[in-house]
Amino acid sequence: MAKKIVVEVCTGTHCVLMGSMHMMDSIASLAEIREEMGSTTEIEVKAVPCLNLCKSGTRGPFVIVDGKTIPQAEADVVMAEIMSHCNDECSNCDC
Amino acid sequence: MSIRGLFTPITKIRRQVFEEIARFAYERDLKSDDFYYFYESPYRIIPGEVAKYRDSVFKERTIIRERIRLAMGLPLRPTTSYQNLTDGMKECASSKKQLELPLVTVIPFACEACKPDHFKVTNNCKKCLAHPCTSVCPVNAVSIGKDSAIIDSEKCIKCGRCREACPYGAIIRSGRPCAEACGAKAIESDELGRAKINQDKCVACGLCIVSCPFAAIADKSEILQLITAIRSGEKVYAIIAPSFVGQFGPLATPGKIISGIRELGMDYVMEVSYGADIGSIHEAEEFMEHVPDEKPFLGTSCCPAWASFAKATLPDYAYCIADTNTPMVATAVKIKEHDPNAKVVFIGPCIAKKIEATYEDVAPYVDYVITYEELMGIFSAKGVELTELEESEFDVEASADGRNYAVSGGVANAVINTVKNRDPQREVPVMKAETLAECRKMLLLAKAGKATGHLLEGMACSGGCVGGPGTLSAIPRASKDVKAFADKSNFKTADDNIYLNIKK
Ligand code: SF4
Ligand code: FES
Repeated sequence: MAKKIVVEVCTGTHCVLMGSMHMMDSIASLAEIREEMGSTTEIEVKAVPCLNLCKSGTRGPFVIVDGKTIPQAEADVVMAEIMSHCNDECSNCDC
Repeated sequence: MSIRGLFTPITKIRRQVFEEIARFAYERDLKSDDFYYFYESPYRIIPGEVAKYRDSVFKERTIIRERIRLAMGLPLRPTTSYQNLTDGMKECASSKKQLELPLVTVIPFACEACKPDHFKVTNNCKKCLAHPCTSVCPVNAVSIGKDSAIIDSEKCIKCGRCREACPYGAIIRSGRPCAEACGAKAIESDELGRAKINQDKCVACGLCIVSCPFAAIADKSEILQLITAIRSGEKVYAIIAPSFVGQFGPLATPGKIISGIRELGMDYVMEVSYGADIGSIHEAEEFMEHVPDEKPFLGTSCCPAWASFAKATLPDYAYCIADTNTPMVATAVKIKEHDPNAKVVFIGPCIAKKIEATYEDVAPYVDYVITYEELMGIFSAKGVELTELEESEFDVEASADGRNYAVSGGVANAVINTVKNRDPQREVPVMKAETLAECRKMLLLAKAGKATGHLLEGMACSGGCVGGPGTLSAIPRASKDVKAFADKSNFKTADDNIYLNIKK
């Protein structure tokens, strides 16, 4: 069974201001490259409305990778998190 | 490569400054002259003690201070004498339109003085036996030094042959990102080798701002003046450029964006594509009447950076740039005819529009210009959660052709369709160019007589307005969104738009 990782990117006002649209594009391009490389893990990127996390004063963008919330998300941290989730059960690719 | 279109820490800082000013503008006591808030701003934006981007937090914060001044519409402070951070703030914190040129400036001490365009031998050079670099150089500029090949930059004519010949890819071309982005060739150097903008050449396309990896270039904003106008009870009409679709996030539909703008206290929101429809008809008629007899070709007028660049590059042909009001102006005129006391804010992707709004014949109609990025800062500061709002609609709709003005090719297409509506036999050959560097080539062809009878569509930004420096969405995504919204219009061409004839 192919594994699926769900990445939710907050696209509320504050998070978009802090770059969440570009974050979505980067994750989508990561998913694409992994697919090209033969990974069987599917990465699903979802835009979600304001998670209400921004109201507490912590800066966005907020990204949730398989349930784990990353505040002030920077692309490298998010990518690493996604990759670590891929690694678990991935046997087909050499990630 | 360029950082244009990527989200980097620089983008973040720029946007935080906009948000910071918007928050102040909303929260301050309108009668007070207290600007203490801005002494603290740099500490909010650059927290902590460890420098993240430059050699020290002190420098980072000093640069933030200048960015804040610019974003309030103030000039930079002198670097060689003392001036208080808040000097001039009292005067600029009003609803009065007061944008002063220069609009785009280099913050001198933020500039790293990148070396202008040159070829360089990197440490990948193995000082190989064959060293083909020396033999292919037509001007004998490459020699073999102690550790590696050396290029004599005095002699080098930048032909690039050495780079192609090197089996290790050790030779690179490198230059100044700002100068490379500038199609008007307005970037020069000051006595310390730092970038300096030749204001006579600058058409404020704004691309250097988003291309400098050190965020050393910035423009001025009217966030404070706009919000002050809203808060002091002025009637503010927002007109939003065709490229707005999708700029505020994938879930912020056009309907939600309209609601969001109303939420900010602007009474009325209109799409500038409506003014584009007015323009398409005018431009079509101009074309049919004057080309090729009185004017060998007709250049589109909607992109102010292109229009002023074209007039400066080919002054003898300045009359060939359409005499048509830009969509922004056409829309604003319509509003002020209806309500002369209104204040009009143009919201768009464009920085050159800020200059256009200072032109003598435009200033009475357009009071403020802000970019999507600036508007997003305002939404965030005011806590307007776009995704949670109900949908609204524009009261007056624009045609699909008008909405497509935002994407390269869209303007020419709209004009062709309006010409065809009048005379199906009339051919409209088109030449088009995106980026000023390409526009320059197109102008040279026109000068050489190769554009006779043509419609010339010029756009300073690649991709058209969706590629403007004040956007938030990536170009491919934005172009798709614009097209989808255009398809939803009830009218195909400008002539089909039933709203053009009714008096608003
Ligand atoms: S790219 Fe930035 S740092 Fe480099 S010369 Fe231009 S303004 Fe200065
Ligand atoms: S906008 Fe992302 S948590 Fe509120």
